[in-house]
Amino acid sequence: MRSIRLFLVASILATLTLFNFVAALQGYQSSMEEAEALFDRQLEDLAAIVLNIDVSGEVEGISLGNGILFQIWQSSELLAASSGSPAESILEFEEGFSFVNFDSYRWRGFTQFNPSSQRWVMVVERTDLRFILAENVVLESVLPILLGIPLVGLLIWSIVSLGLRPLDKLSTELKKKQAHDLSPVVYENSARELEQVIQSTNSFILRLDEVLEREKRFSADAAHELRTPISALKIQLHNLGEEIGSDHESFQQLQSGVERMQHLIEQLLSLYRTTPEKFAQNCHQVDLYQLVQEQIAQLYSSFENRNQILELSGDEALIEGDDFALQTLVSNLLSNANKYTPEGGKILVSVCEIDSDIVLSVEDSGPGIAEEDRLRIFDRFYRSDLGGNSNREMPGCGLGLTIVAHIAELHQARVVVEGSNFESGSAFRVKFRKKK
Amino acid sequence: MFINSVILLLQEILEAALLISVLLVITNLFHDIWGRSFVLRKTWIFYALILGCAGAWLYALVTPTVSEWFDYVGQEVVNSLIHLVSLGFLILLSWVAPSNYFSDKTSQRAQLVIASMVVIVLLALVREGSEILLYLGGVTSQSENVVPVLSGAVIGAGIGLSCGVILYYGLTSLSHTWAFRVCLLLLAFVCGNIASQIVMLLTQADWLPYTAIAWDTAGLLPENSITGRLLYALIGYEATPSILQAVCYGLAMLIIIFGPLFRLAWPGILAKNVEQ
Amino acid sequence: MKNYIATILMSLSLLFVSSLASAAAVEIELVIKDHLFFPAEVEVPAGQKVKLRIINQDPTPEEFESYELNREKVIAGNRQTVIFIGPLSPGEYPFFGEFYPKTAQGKVIAK
Repeated sequence: MRSIRLFLVASILATLTLFNFVAALQGYQSSMEEAEALFDRQLEDLAAIVLNIDVSGEVEGISLGNGILFQIWQSSELLAASSGSPAESILEFEEGFSFVNFDSYRWRGFTQFNPSSQRWVMVVERTDLRFILAENVVLESVLPILLGIPLVGLLIWSIVSLGLRPLDKLSTELKKKQAHDLSPVVYENSARELEQVIQSTNSFILRLDEVLEREKRFSADAAHELRTPISALKIQLHNLGEEIGSDHESFQQLQSGVERMQHLIEQLLSLYRTTPEKFAQNCHQVDLYQLVQEQIAQLYSSFENRNQILELSGDEALIEGDDFALQTLVSNLLSNANKYTPEGGKILVSVCEIDSDIVLSVEDSGPGIAEEDRLRIFDRFYRSDLGGNSNREMPGCGLGLTIVAHIAELHQARVVVEGSNFESGSAFRVKFRKKK
Repeated sequence: MFINSVILLLQEILEAALLISVLLVITNLFHDIWGRSFVLRKTWIFYALILGCAGAWLYALVTPTVSEWFDYVGQEVVNSLIHLVSLGFLILLSWVAPSNYFSDKTSQRAQLVIASMVVIVLLALVREGSEILLYLGGVTSQSENVVPVLSGAVIGAGIGLSCGVILYYGLTSLSHTWAFRVCLLLLAFVCGNIASQIVMLLTQADWLPYTAIAWDTAGLLPENSITGRLLYALIGYEATPSILQAVCYGLAMLIIIFGPLFRLAWPGILAKNVEQ
Repeated sequence: MKNYIATILMSLSLLFVSSLASAAAVEIELVIKDHLFFPAEVEVPAGQKVKLRIINQDPTPEEFESYELNREKVIAGNRQTVIFIGPLSPGEYPFFGEFYPKTAQGKVIAK
C-alpha cells in the first residue's frame, strides 16, 4: 500500500535537501574562490612591500608571520630571506603565481621582478593554513543549513499531517460508523477536495438505506402474505383428511408438499430476519452451551424417532450474539445431523474452548461430505447428491447451511467442515470469538 | 577537506542510491506481473543494507592486504571479480527469472528475484561503502578535519540520497509500462557501466591490453562536473573511455536488451495485465 | 552475424597477445608523503607502457585518481601499490590524491 504521507514527506524533504545542499555547495565554492583571490592579492601586496625592504643592513630573522616565507634575489645571489626559508630559491625565476612542494608542505607562491633594481622577490604561503582559515569561515555559513535539515523534516512531517487531517477525520468517521447506522456522514468544515467523496458516500448510504427499507418491508409483507394462505391451506388439508381418509396416496403427497413449502418459507424468512442492522440491535451475552442444550431438548423427539445416540459435552461458554439467530444456527446444524445420519447412528455435539475461540462442533456418523462439495454446501439451494436419490426424499430446501453461514458471519465466526471422528460422517465446527 | 568529502560521498552514495531506487521500482513492477500469486515485498532492501554495510566494513579492513595480492594489483582483480558477480546476478534477473521454467513455481521465482536483488545491492554497497569507510577512517584521524569532513559527508550523502528518492518517486509516478521500460534501460546502463569498470580495472592491472581512447568529451562535459558525476552514476558516463571499454559497455547492455525481461516490457505485457 | 562476432573475438585476442608480447614496462616510483606527491611532476616516455609504483609513506590511506589517465586506486596507509598507465601520447596528464586533493597534486608528462 502506498502512503500519501510518506510520499509527501519523503519527496518534499528530498527536493528541499537537494536544492539546499547544492546551493550550500555553490555558496561554499564561490566563497572559497573569493577567499583564494583575496589571499592571492595579499600575497601580491606582500611582495610589493618586501621589494622595498632595505637589504643593506641586517635582514636575517625577519618573520612575516606563520607559514609565510620570502626571498629576495639579485642575479642569482640571495640578498635577503625570512627566517626558516631554504638556501636555494623557493620558486622559479618567472613572474606570476605558482604552486610548489617543499618542506613537506604545499605552498602558493608569487614571484615579482623589479627591472629597476634587478631584484627578484619570491613570497610563498602555506596552502593548508590559508585553506583551513578560509574553510572555517565559509563553513560557519554552511553548517546552519545542515543542522536545519532535521528541523525542516520535522516541520514538513507536521505540515503534511495537518494537511491530511481532513482525510484522517473522514476515514475515522467512516470507520466508526456502525453497520446498522445508515445516517449520512456529517462532516462540518471539510476540505473542498473531499466534498465530492462525502457527497458520493452519502448518496450511496441513502440509496442503500432505501434498498434495505424495501427489503425489510418485503420480508415483513411476505411473512404475512405467505403464512396466512399456508395456514388456511393446512386447515383445509386437515378437513380434507377427515373427509377422504388420511391414508390416500395423493393426500399424503399433498400434505408433505405443503409441509415442505411451509418449511421453505420459514427458512427464507429467517434468512431475511437476521440482517446486520437487526443483529447489532439484538446483540448481547449468550451462554452457547445452555442454548445448545435447549435446542437439543426441543429436537429430542426427532433423534429418538431415528434411534440416534446423541451426546453433548462442554461447559458454560459466553459469547456475544443474537439469541434468536443462534437458535436458528444450532437447530439447523442439529436437524442436518439428524437428517443425514442413518437410523441408530451417533451424533456428538460439543461446546469447548480452543485457544481463544469458542468452538461449537456437531459431528455425525453419516455418509460425510466429499471434499469438492465442502465449499458448495453453503450455497443457496445447493443440496448434496450424496446418498443418491434418497437425498431428494429428505425434507429440506437447501437453505439450512446458507443460513448457518450467514449467521456465523454476522457473529464474525468461521464455519469449517471436516471429516468427523467417527468412521464416516462430517463435522461442522463453528468458531466463535470468545467474549472479552 | 569539506568539498572533498562532499564529492567522494556524493559519488559513491549517488551510484548506490540510484541502483537501489531502480531495483525497488522493479520489485513493485515484478509484483504486478507475477505477484498476484506470490508476495514480493520490498523488505529485501533491509537485508541488503545490513549485509552490505557489514561487507563494506570487512572489505575496508582487508583492503591493505588484498591490494598486495597478484604483485600489487589484487585490488583491481578482486574489485573486477565483485563486478563480475554483480553482472552475473543482473543476467540472472533479466534472463532466468522471467523464464517459463518458473511458471508453476512462482515462489522459487520470487526467491530468485529477491536473492539477485540482495546480492546486486550488497555488492554495490561493499564496493562503494569500503571506499567511504577507508576515506572517513583515514581523514578523521586528524581531529581538525572532523567537523568539515563530517559536514561534507552529510551534504554529499544528503544530495545522493535525495536524488535516489526523487528518482524512485519519479519512476513510480510513471505508468507501469513506462516505469518498467525506463527501469530496464537504466539497468542496461548499469550493466554497461559495470562491464566498462571491469575493463578499466583489468587494464590498470595490466591483465587486459591497452586500447586507444575511443572518444574524448572531456572538453564538452568533464567527468568531474556535477552533470558529469550524475551521468556517471546514472549511465556510467566517462569522458575518455578506451575502445575496449566502449565495446564491452555496449555488449553488456545487449545482455539486458536481448533478455526476456526486456521483451516483457517492450511489447507492453504490463499494459495488458496491469492497467485494465 | 556469427562471422562478425568471430572477427571481433579474433581481433580482441590478437590485441591481447600483442600486449603480452610487449609486457616489459618502464617502472617509475612515486612517493606520497605528508599528503604530497614526490616527485610532483613525473616524466615518462611517450608511446610506452609505464608501471607506476606508488609508495604511501603516510599513515592515512590515499586514492590516486586521474581523469585524464582514466585511473583510480586506493592506497592504504604505509603500503605501496602498482598502476599501469599508457602508452600515452605526448602531453600533460594531471593526477591527484582524491582524499587530500588540496595538497596531493601532480602530473605525468609524457615526452
